Amino acid sequence: MKLPNNVALKSRKKQIAVAIAIAVLVVLPLCIESDYIKHLLIMSCVGTILAMTFSMLYSSGLISLGAAAFYAVGAYTSTVLVMNTGLSFWLALPLTILVAAVLSLGFGAIFVRHAGVAFVIISLLFAQVVVIAAGQAEFLGGWGGIIGIPRPDPLGPVEFASKNSFYYLALAILLLVVLVFNALYSSRIGRAWRAIKLSPNLAGTLGINAYRYRLVSFVAGSTAAALSGSFYAHYAQTITPGAFGGWLSIYIQLYAVLGGLEFYIIGPVIGAVVMTFVPEYLRVLKEVEPIITGILLLIIILFFPDGILGSIKNSSSAGLDRFKSGMGGIKAWITQNR
Amino acid sequence: MALLKIRNITKIFGGLIALRDVSFDVNQSEILGLIGPNGAGKSTLFNIISGFHAADKGKILFKDDEITGLRIDQIARKGIGRIFQEPTLFMQETVFENVFSGFHRHYRQPGWKAFLHMPGANHEDAASRKKALEMLEFMDLSALKDELAANLPHGHQRALALAIALATGPELLLLDEPVTGMNPGETQVMAEKIRQIRSQGVTVLIVEHDMKAVMSLCDRIVVLSLGAKLVEGTPEKIKSDERVIEAYLGRQAV
Amino acid sequence: MLVNALTIGSIYILMVLGLDIILRGTKILNFAHGQLYMLGAYVLFLFFQTLHWNFALSLVLSGAVLALVGALSYLGVFAILSRRFTVSTTLSYRLLLSAMASVGLMMILQQGTLLAFGTQERGIQSPFPQVIDILDIRISVMRILIIFLSVLVCLLLYLLMYKTPFGRVLRAVSYDPEAVTLQGVNTFWIFVTCFALGSALAGLAGGIIAPLFSVTPAMGQNVIFLSFLVLLVGGIGSYRGTIAGGLLIGLLLSFGFQFLGGVAELFVFMLVILILVFRPGGILGEATE
Repeated sequence: MKLPNNVALKSRKKQIAVAIAIAVLVVLPLCIESDYIKHLLIMSCVGTILAMTFSMLYSSGLISLGAAAFYAVGAYTSTVLVMNTGLSFWLALPLTILVAAVLSLGFGAIFVRHAGVAFVIISLLFAQVVVIAAGQAEFLGGWGGIIGIPRPDPLGPVEFASKNSFYYLALAILLLVVLVFNALYSSRIGRAWRAIKLSPNLAGTLGINAYRYRLVSFVAGSTAAALSGSFYAHYAQTITPGAFGGWLSIYIQLYAVLGGLEFYIIGPVIGAVVMTFVPEYLRVLKEVEPIITGILLLIIILFFPDGILGSIKNSSSAGLDRFKSGMGGIKAWITQNR
Repeated sequence: MALLKIRNITKIFGGLIALRDVSFDVNQSEILGLIGPNGAGKSTLFNIISGFHAADKGKILFKDDEITGLRIDQIARKGIGRIFQEPTLFMQETVFENVFSGFHRHYRQPGWKAFLHMPGANHEDAASRKKALEMLEFMDLSALKDELAANLPHGHQRALALAIALATGPELLLLDEPVTGMNPGETQVMAEKIRQIRSQGVTVLIVEHDMKAVMSLCDRIVVLSLGAKLVEGTPEKIKSDERVIEAYLGRQAV
Repeated sequence: MLVNALTIGSIYILMVLGLDIILRGTKILNFAHGQLYMLGAYVLFLFFQTLHWNFALSLVLSGAVLALVGALSYLGVFAILSRRFTVSTTLSYRLLLSAMASVGLMMILQQGTLLAFGTQERGIQSPFPQVIDILDIRISVMRILIIFLSVLVCLLLYLLMYKTPFGRVLRAVSYDPEAVTLQGVNTFWIFVTCFALGSALAGLAGGIIAPLFSVTPAMGQNVIFLSFLVLLVGGIGSYRGTIAGGLLIGLLLSFGFQFLGGVAELFVFMLVILILVFRPGGILGEATE
């Protein structure tokens, strides 16, 4: 039986591969000197979770530009809980998750009814509004944001003073999200999502309530985004509304598409890592950067819409065919309709 | 015993009256044919029964429960299955996955148990997989089980659609043009399958243009024309009914 | 103040009508629409302010040039993308990819304009600086012109869509592109036209508003957010809804900023949520046949 891309860990080979990957990830920071690279790795983890949020919603047919919204919600909630109520980070974290779950349930119940284009717009608006709300609210620091957010309290012997410890925390959170998401994808919930995405009409005749399942994906994804937001706040120790607005929602989408849309878990990893590291090494002027990103985006969408992983999967003749079909498209409209 | 009761269904699209006060019964274990010239409203009626459109007037009762206005998935869970006129499959999934998903509505274990991959849920999954294989066997699709649905030839796609609908375990099956576009050989095979399905206790309502198939397959026939019910009865009666001939010929003349 | 509301509303109406035409015809949500608006303003600046051509001509050009830009962007980007789509491509995939392509376009246009023209604001001498007094209220002629133009365009569009065969085809395409193809119409050029028309509207909106506000590369970004909102509230696929939505936004914005300041946008959003709860409106939903 053919398994979809995301059902992991059923075969021995896959289990070994995953174990090796985890081992490498654990050992990694010990082999690296540069704090800067470690920072990039940590931000890759954060970015990966956000991209996974996008992918999860996409898996049920919803295109969301709102992952950034709950990222912000998580960051601010955790910050407020720790700084204003004096809770320890370790308590604030589960509470943040709870708050995010409740909020995403409430908003999701309204938003998810409107599929397709309407949802894209709604999620975009929501993300914008969250940023504006954070900026306008004085007790959230206004547009200047909040500084001096404390690091997580020491966990036993582990103090969060070095990049290494943050790295492991980020990794742990990432793995937790991966575990939960994978459990969802490989269950009948994940199968229902796939059905809804491929054909909502057919799924309906099979007794699948698209609204309910989409709501689940919305809540799960948004909560994960909030989780990563909470981490971010206590890692960067400064949050401003601006950090959550603007191009962020678009970059999140880009991570997912670049990695490979149909790979809900590994795709975001690849996409986030590439998009976090590569721009750092291609030092370009700030003004030119969006143009480069825009062109890159167009190239990817037009010629490699299956992303990196997708293109590899289709490689050998098929991959080349895809590229050719992109070129063929250009040739076609030149010769057609004359 | 009437399984499905359609009472005074009226549907208006913009200014066009698609269905006008249509009423008839579908009896338990019968194969009922719904025919009529193009534009008679047959597909619209199907869409209303299965929940894709809402009727403007009238009601529909399934086993004496009113189902008018219920959602698509709610109607499906009541035990009404359907196939569509256009090939509606999970194109990017394999044949096996397609049929497997049809068993979705039978799951009893709650969602969170499925999420945690608890034994109860796993057991249900395994049972469904087995039943899916059996269904493939029944529809003669076993050899193609790992093929992508999009790659199947037309006739097989129709068979797959039927398999998926059957997987939901319906008591009433709505078939929208199941043999249209098939050659006589394929039509025979499909007709035979439909008879087998009926002998398993499923009631079937068919919309079809292929007159030969309809006449040989159906116990009774309802004729629609321009949104209204013209006549209903046995195939013999319909074949020789003046109004029916008129409706079809009249249409052609126009 | 009411006039101000109508003015702003008119602009949004033009914008969103353009967006709607593109969306309904080609099922593409064009994120670059705001940039087309911005470019329209720059076109007007170029011809009217810098080259001192006739205002009316410059305005027409801001529409025409953008029609060309729109057509080119369809040909250069979206047409190529559409080649990939088969009958079995899911709506969400199409939507996502075309939306992202338009985002790429948006980024290029935005930053390109910034690099070409610099970030400084450009002012345009209003061609109609007169102000008239009606009932003790001072209204600028320019604003009246905008409202007038907007009404005119709406009427013309209405005539086009409902009274001409071309309009019928355009509407048919938004319902069922395949059926239209079967009838022998080349949907490809219909799509190009949709883009051209929608872009022209955006360009026109940008051109006509340019004398009132300054011309900057960031114009597009400021306007797109609310344009989407109007599209949503008005209902995708309802011209009347779009007009109503545009007017509503115009009202809310001008009154909102008077009384609420920055929180106005939040307020608007809350309102939108309420509307969504009670009146889903015209939606391009997938779950209904």
